[in-house]
Amino acid sequence: MTSNTGSEASRWLDAQLHLLDRQVLDVDGVPVAVVDDLELSEVLVGQEIPIDTPPPVITALLSGPALATRIFGGRPPESRMQRTLWVDIVEIDVVIRLGVGRDILDLAWTEGWVRDRIIGRIPGGRHTPQGEPNDERGRS
Amino acid sequence: MKKVLGLALGILTAIGGFLDIGDLVTNAVVGSRFGLSLGWAVVVGVIGICIFAQMSGRVAAVSGRATFELIRERLGLRVGVLNLGASFMINLMTLTAEIGGVALALQLVSSVSYLLWVPFAAFALWLVIWRVKFSIMENVAGLVGLFLIGFAVGLFLLGPDWGELGRQAVHGVSTSNEKVSTYWFYAVALFGAAMTPYEVFFFSSGAVEEGWSVKDVARSRANVLVGFPLGGLLSLAIAGCAAVVLLPQLISVTALSQVMLPVAVAGGKVLLAFIILGIVAATAGAALETTLSAGYTIAQFLGWSWGKFRPPAQAARFHLLMIICLIVGVGTLMTGVDPIQVTEMSVVFSALALPLTYLPILIVANDPEYMGEHVNGQALNGIALIYLVIILAAAIAAIPLLIITGAGQ
Repeated sequence: MTSNTGSEASRWLDAQLHLLDRQVLDVDGVPVAVVDDLELSEVLVGQEIPIDTPPPVITALLSGPALATRIFGGRPPESRMQRTLWVDIVEIDVVIRLGVGRDILDLAWTEGWVRDRIIGRIPGGRHTPQGEPNDERGRS
Repeated sequence: MKKVLGLALGILTAIGGFLDIGDLVTNAVVGSRFGLSLGWAVVVGVIGICIFAQMSGRVAAVSGRATFELIRERLGLRVGVLNLGASFMINLMTLTAEIGGVALALQLVSSVSYLLWVPFAAFALWLVIWRVKFSIMENVAGLVGLFLIGFAVGLFLLGPDWGELGRQAVHGVSTSNEKVSTYWFYAVALFGAAMTPYEVFFFSSGAVEEGWSVKDVARSRANVLVGFPLGGLLSLAIAGCAAVVLLPQLISVTALSQVMLPVAVAGGKVLLAFIILGIVAATAGAALETTLSAGYTIAQFLGWSWGKFRPPAQAARFHLLMIICLIVGVGTLMTGVDPIQVTEMSVVFSALALPLTYLPILIVANDPEYMGEHVNGQALNGIALIYLVIILAAAIAAIPLLIITGAGQ
């Protein structure tokens, strides 16, 4: 499986081993999602593939409410899966790092909802626990 | 002093794991019924948790990954969900019991019914989770929890026949008319209490909270090697106290006050005051440990932002989940369930869930992609594999023993 960024073309990735169920961190090192599925560029299903067709590439990582469908089968409607574009990935290591912030991604809108409606409204909810400098350190 | 505080994570993890409300009582029950003849189960458990926690701490320090992220990655979604469900239930049951434990300890001091203390205790726990820095939390709960050393002091003050205690540990109690199945039920319970998975979730996530890196591998080892044996020693001291005072009198332990009876006999009011303070700190520590573990496991599994080092607004779902867990715990206690029974059950379930938590850590600790040069050595792998067999045996035996013995009645 090759990536379409070209930079890691020499490295083999096993989708099952290196991509599925990996944590995705945004540019600040904050966890945003876990990879539930992959989106491939167009694959012809049920037709003979011409010899010189380029191999499909991964276009996006998909995350979303796939827990039940991954266990019991089926798939959630495409509109409910959140896409992280492959081009936004800067590093695939024991975690997948993105080059963009979580607010742009619209990943994990539930996080924002809970923050704005509940947690952010409780006194002290927007402060770092006492005595600690406000470090968004994001482990690396 | 700084060195001592650097060990607080290990000490708090161990005290919360070994000396939470259920274990306090279980240890005294075992001491009063079997003397020290089950001491070996504690020792086997301590060695096991040292190996397990050291692997998870090293993985966290080197790769920055906490345990439950790895469980999903390495077990896949289906088995991972199974483990998540079991681990989360154990967390919730233990958390419920610990809130009750804090309240029971406060009842001993105040003579106000523990049910009235429950909401107060839960609110105080939430405040700590909401506002107190991780390192202050672990230092205070860990160090005050050390007052439980009073049990060891009490054992010395009782001036027991050490030879007799030694004989009990090696040959068992000759006068005992307990069934064999009951003996093994408590062996599994003590083993499960020593190796509760939430200790590992808390320890590895705490390492991430404290920002450990490759440089901290030695620190992780020191935390493990000081904290867990200390916890094990204190459990043995509790069993020893009960074996010396309660066993000859055929007093059976059913409540927290009886756990402290031998200490009161040995050291009077002053020692008793220390012990009660220690129990409040240890149960509160265990409650914090399990509440945070409940948040850690789900957040890590689902890829949410988590951690006390972030402002709550930046880990919103993590904090909301912990609030819900605390409310559920209070609600459960208000129905009048016996908190001590709840944790005794949860200990058996933790023996059941243990293999699914242990195996992925063992796999990742051997994976150079995560660990680089810090993969397990051959000797460690040898012992770790022996423990895999022991853990599997305990997991298989747990439920049948629970049913046969009627939970050790």
